[in-house]
Amino acid sequence: MLTNFEYAKPITLTHAVQCLAEKEREVKILSGGTDLLVALRRKQVQPALVIDIKGLKELTALTYTPGQGLSIGAAVCVNRLAEADVVRQYFPALAAAARVLASYQLRNRATVGGNICNASPAADLVPPLLVYEGVLEVVSQRGSRRIPLQDFFTGVKQHVLERDELLQGVFLPDTTDATGATGATGATGATSATGMTNVTDVGGLYLKQGRLKGHDLSIIGLAARLNAAKQFRFAVAAAAPTPLRLFALEELLNAQPFTPALAELAAQAINLYIHPISDVRATAEYRRHMAAVFVRRAVSSLVTAGGKQDG
Amino acid sequence: MSDHYTVVGTAQTRSEAWQKVTGQAVYVHDFSLPGMLHTKILHSPHAHALIVAIDVTAAKALPGVKAILTGADLPYLLGLYMVDKPILARHKVRYQGEPVAAVAAVDEVTAERAVGLIKVTYSELPAVLSVDAALAGQTLVHEDINELEYIKGAFFPQPDSNIASWHQTRRGDVQQGFAAADFVFEDELSLPQVAHAPLETHVSIAQAHPASNRVTIWTSAQSPFSVRNLLAKAFGLARADIKVVVPFIGGGFGGKAGIHLEPLALALSRACNGIPVRVKASREEEYNQLPCREGLRGRVKTGITKGGKITAMQLYFDWDGGAYADYSVNVGRAAGYAGAGPYALDNIELHSRTLYTNKVFGTAYRGFGHLETHWVIERHMDLLAQRLQIDPYELRQQNLLREGSLTISGERINANSGRVDQCLSAVASEIGWCGYRSAAERAAGIARGKARGKGLAVLHKAPAMPANTATGAIMQLNEDGSVIMLLGATDMGQGAYTVMAQIAAEILAMPLDKIKVSGEVDTDHSPYDWQTVASKYSFMGGNAVIRCAQDVLRQLKATAAQVLRIPVDELAHANERIYHVQHPEQFVTYQALAMGYTYRNGNAIGGPIIGRGTYLAPGLTNLDDNGQGLPALDWTYGAHGAEIEVDIETGEVTVLKIASAFDVGQVLNPKLCKGQVIGGVMQGLGSALCEEYKYSPDGKLLNPSFTDNKIPTAQDTPREIVPILLENPQADGPFGARGVGEHPMISVPSVIGNALYDALGINFYELPLTPEKIALAVAKLARP
Repeated sequence: MLTNFEYAKPITLTHAVQCLAEKEREVKILSGGTDLLVALRRKQVQPALVIDIKGLKELTALTYTPGQGLSIGAAVCVNRLAEADVVRQYFPALAAAARVLASYQLRNRATVGGNICNASPAADLVPPLLVYEGVLEVVSQRGSRRIPLQDFFTGVKQHVLERDELLQGVFLPDTTDATGATGATGATGATSATGMTNVTDVGGLYLKQGRLKGHDLSIIGLAARLNAAKQFRFAVAAAAPTPLRLFALEELLNAQPFTPALAELAAQAINLYIHPISDVRATAEYRRHMAAVFVRRAVSSLVTAGGKQDG
Repeated sequence: MSDHYTVVGTAQTRSEAWQKVTGQAVYVHDFSLPGMLHTKILHSPHAHALIVAIDVTAAKALPGVKAILTGADLPYLLGLYMVDKPILARHKVRYQGEPVAAVAAVDEVTAERAVGLIKVTYSELPAVLSVDAALAGQTLVHEDINELEYIKGAFFPQPDSNIASWHQTRRGDVQQGFAAADFVFEDELSLPQVAHAPLETHVSIAQAHPASNRVTIWTSAQSPFSVRNLLAKAFGLARADIKVVVPFIGGGFGGKAGIHLEPLALALSRACNGIPVRVKASREEEYNQLPCREGLRGRVKTGITKGGKITAMQLYFDWDGGAYADYSVNVGRAAGYAGAGPYALDNIELHSRTLYTNKVFGTAYRGFGHLETHWVIERHMDLLAQRLQIDPYELRQQNLLREGSLTISGERINANSGRVDQCLSAVASEIGWCGYRSAAERAAGIARGKARGKGLAVLHKAPAMPANTATGAIMQLNEDGSVIMLLGATDMGQGAYTVMAQIAAEILAMPLDKIKVSGEVDTDHSPYDWQTVASKYSFMGGNAVIRCAQDVLRQLKATAAQVLRIPVDELAHANERIYHVQHPEQFVTYQALAMGYTYRNGNAIGGPIIGRGTYLAPGLTNLDDNGQGLPALDWTYGAHGAEIEVDIETGEVTVLKIASAFDVGQVLNPKLCKGQVIGGVMQGLGSALCEEYKYSPDGKLLNPSFTDNKIPTAQDTPREIVPILLENPQADGPFGARGVGEHPMISVPSVIGNALYDALGINFYELPLTPEKIALAVAKLARP
C-alpha cells in the first residue's frame, strides 16, 4: 500500500534538477521503479515528492564513441545494455551482468542509474562498471561533477550523492587501446599475427551465483576483465558492504608471469580481500567458497583467451 | 487401453483455457460490490506473547474507518479437527504474523493508516521453535490443550503437552522382527516448512444481511461446502443461511482447502451492519499469516536380512505443525497408514505426532504429508541398500506391496489395486538404471567437475478423507439438447470440469462441446461435495457423473419408449438419439425429449430431463487404536527415476532427465494427466532444491516474499520430463481410473537425494538440497 506523494515528471534536465533542489520535503527519484516501489510498499521510504526521470532525453542515451568510450544514460534500461552490440562487443562483462540481472521483464524496467544509486551490495551491474573504470556524471543546480564509481559507495544502500544531485549517466573509457587503434575498426580485435600490439580487451566476464537457476539476487557476483595490456581487473558483488573493486588482487596477479597458474593463485588470494557476511541468502562460508571458484574460472578463461591471442 | 472409448482417454484442452489466457476469467480479486469495505490486519511481531492491552481509540477516530475488531470481540474457535484457532488472537499470540486486530475502512489506505494507530502491549513468552522444544513441553503453545474440542477417535491430543495428536499404528511384533533381522539400521531425515505460493493469494468477501442471519461469502477456496459447514458451526448458523460462492481460483495446492479469511470477513461485515467487506492477503501475508506445509523430522529404525528382506520397521514422524492444528493432525493421521511407503511390512510400529510450535501453522499441501514421509522412507531405502551393498532397485522390488500383501493398516492389496513394481521397472528402464556407479566412476565425475548420478524412488498415496465422503452431480438437458452440468467440486487448474464433461459425453454418447459445466460453485445451487482435495475427484466425481448421465439416459429412454412404442430394454442410444436396437431408423433425438416430447396437437409427455448422480465412498472404515482399518478409496502407485548432473564447485544440480510413472488405471485425458505429472515434478523439485521457511532465533519469519523464498522458474525445469502412465484398471474407478493430482510431487526430493548419492557418494539428510549445501559438502569431502 502506497502512501500519498506528489509526482513530477520533468521533461528537461534543468527542470529536473530544479525539482530536486527542493529542501523542505523528502524527494525520491523514480526511474524503473523496481527498487523504489518495493521500498515504498514496505514503507522503507516515504517521500513527499517523487521525480520521474524517464522523460529526460539526456538520461536515456546510450552512445559509443570509438577511441573515447561508452556513455550510458542513467535511465537506460538493463535489457538495452544486454542487447546493444557495442556493449556486447567492447564491454562484454557488462553485457553478461545485464543478461543475468533479475528477470527479463524486470530488465525492461530496471535502469543502470537505479542499479547504481540503490547502492545494494549485490548490484549486478556495478562490478562490471567497476572493472571498466566507470565514472559517474552527476548534475545539480549547482553545476556538474564527475565521480569515479569506485569512490561512490560508502556503505549498504549508502553513497556520496548530495540530496540535490541527480546521476545523469556513467561513462566507460574505451576498451580499445587508443595508441594502437585506427578509428572504429581498431576494436576488431587482436592482430598479433601481423606483429601489431593488441588493441582491445582480451575479454571480460561476469559470473553470478543464485539460489536457483532462474532469476535471483546474487549470492555472489564477480566481474573480471583482462585488458589489452593483459592487466586484470576484478570487482565483486555481495561480498562486502558495497560492491568492491579488488585492486590488491589485481596487483598481485598483474605482477606475476602470465601463465595458467594465475587461476589458482587468484583463488587462493581472493578471500583476503573480500568481507562477505552470512544472511538469509547464503552463509559467508559459501560466499567465500564461490568467490574462489569464480575467480579461478574467470582467470583461467581469460588466460586461455590471452594465450590464444599470443598465438 | 482407451481404444474402445470415444471421448474418455482423448487429449482435450481445458474447457476454461481460453477464458484464462485471454484474461476473461473472473476471480474474487476482480470482484467489487457497491460500498464494499477494505480490510487491513495488524499482525503479531512476536512468536509467543501475552496480549496485555490493545488500544484502538486513535484508530477508531480516523475518518473512513467503519469497524475495528480484536480477539476480545470474537469469542469463536475454529478448527477442522482440533477446535483451537481464534479468528483474531485472544489473550495471546502464538506465531509471528498472527492476526491481532483488523480494520475495515472505505479504502485500503485508510485501513492501513488505522492499523498503524492501534497500540498493543505484549508480554513476551518463551517460544517453542523446534520439534525437540515442542516435545520437551517446557512451554505450552496451547496452555488450554486439555479443554480443546476435537474429533474423538480420530485424533489424540496429549494432556499438558504440545502434542496436538499422537497417531499410532501397530501390526505384527516389531521386537520379534528386529530379533529376526541380520542388521538393524537407523536414520534420521528432516525437511522444513514450505509455502504453497498460489498465483492468487487468499481473498474473501462477506456480506452479512442486516435483517436476518443470511450470509453470502465470495471466496477463493477449494472447498465451498466445508467453508459453509465450518462457518455454520463457529457462528451457530443454519447451513441454509450461508451461501458460499467460489468463482475461478488462481491455484490452491491445499492451501485453500479449509477455512481461512472467511470468518474474519463475515465478522467485519456484521460489525458494519451488513456492508460487504473484503479481506485480501498480500503476498507477505500469504507467507507469514496464512498456513504453509508443515515441517517434519522422521526417525526410522529397520530390521533387515542380509538378503534385503525387511523384518521390522519402527518409525517416529514428528511434524512441526506450527501454532494451530488445522489439517496437520490429519496429515499426521494419513502418515499412520501410508507413511511407511508402498512396502509389505509384517512388523511395524509407527508413531506420528503432530506438534504445536510457535511458527506459521501448517495445513494441507499437495501430497498431504506423503512428500515428507517419502523423503524419509525413500532415502532410508537407499541408505539400507548402501549398507547391505545391494542394488536399491532390487531392495525395493523385494519388499514392495504386491497382490495379496497387507498394507500397514491391514488392507489386502488385490489384482485391481495397481502395480508399484511395474512403475518402478518402467522408470528404471527409462533412465537406464544399472545399479550405483562405482567409486572410480564417481571419482572421475568429481574430477571432471560435473558429476552425474541416477536415482530411483517409489511412492503411493490414497485420498485422506473421512470414511463417509460423498459428492454429487446434476445434469439438465437444454432446449437444444445440450447439457449443463452442476458440480460441487472446484476447478483450480487441475481440469476437473473438463474431465467430468468427457465422462458425461462418453456415457451420453454426445459431442464434448455440447456439455457445459457451470464454472462457479454456489452452495445454494450446486450439489454437495465434501472438499476438492485428496486426488479423489476424478474417481468420486467421475462415478457420480456416470450415475448422473445414466439417470439422464434412463429418463430419456422412459419417454422415448412411449414415443416410439418400444420397450425400454430394446432401446439403445448413440449420436444424441434413442433408437430401437434392431431398427435404428426408429429413433427420437435427445433434443426432442429434452423439455418433454411434444406431439403435433400440442400434447406433451416426459418433462424436462434433469439427472442426478451421487457417489459415497463405500466400505471404508475408521482406524482402530492400532491404526488398523480401511481408510483408502484407492491407492495410486508411482515411481520416479532421475539422472542429474552436479556442478561440484557451485553445487548446482541440473536434472537431465526425470521419468515418472503412475498407475492411473485408465487415462481419462492424457494431456491433463501429463500436465499434472510435469507440474507436480516441478513443484517437487522446488521442495527438493530450494524451498524453505527460514526463521530468526526469536521466531520471526525471515523470508516472507518471493525475494528470499524462492520457487522454481522456467529456467529450473529439467532438460527432459518423461511422464509414463500405466493402466491396470481399478475395478470401481470410473472407466478404471484412479487419482493422480498430488502424486507426481511425492518422492521427487527423494529421487534427487538418491541421485546425489550416486553422483557424489554423499548422503544428504535435510531438505532443501541447495547449491550451498552440496558445494560445501563436496568441499569438505575434498579436504579430509
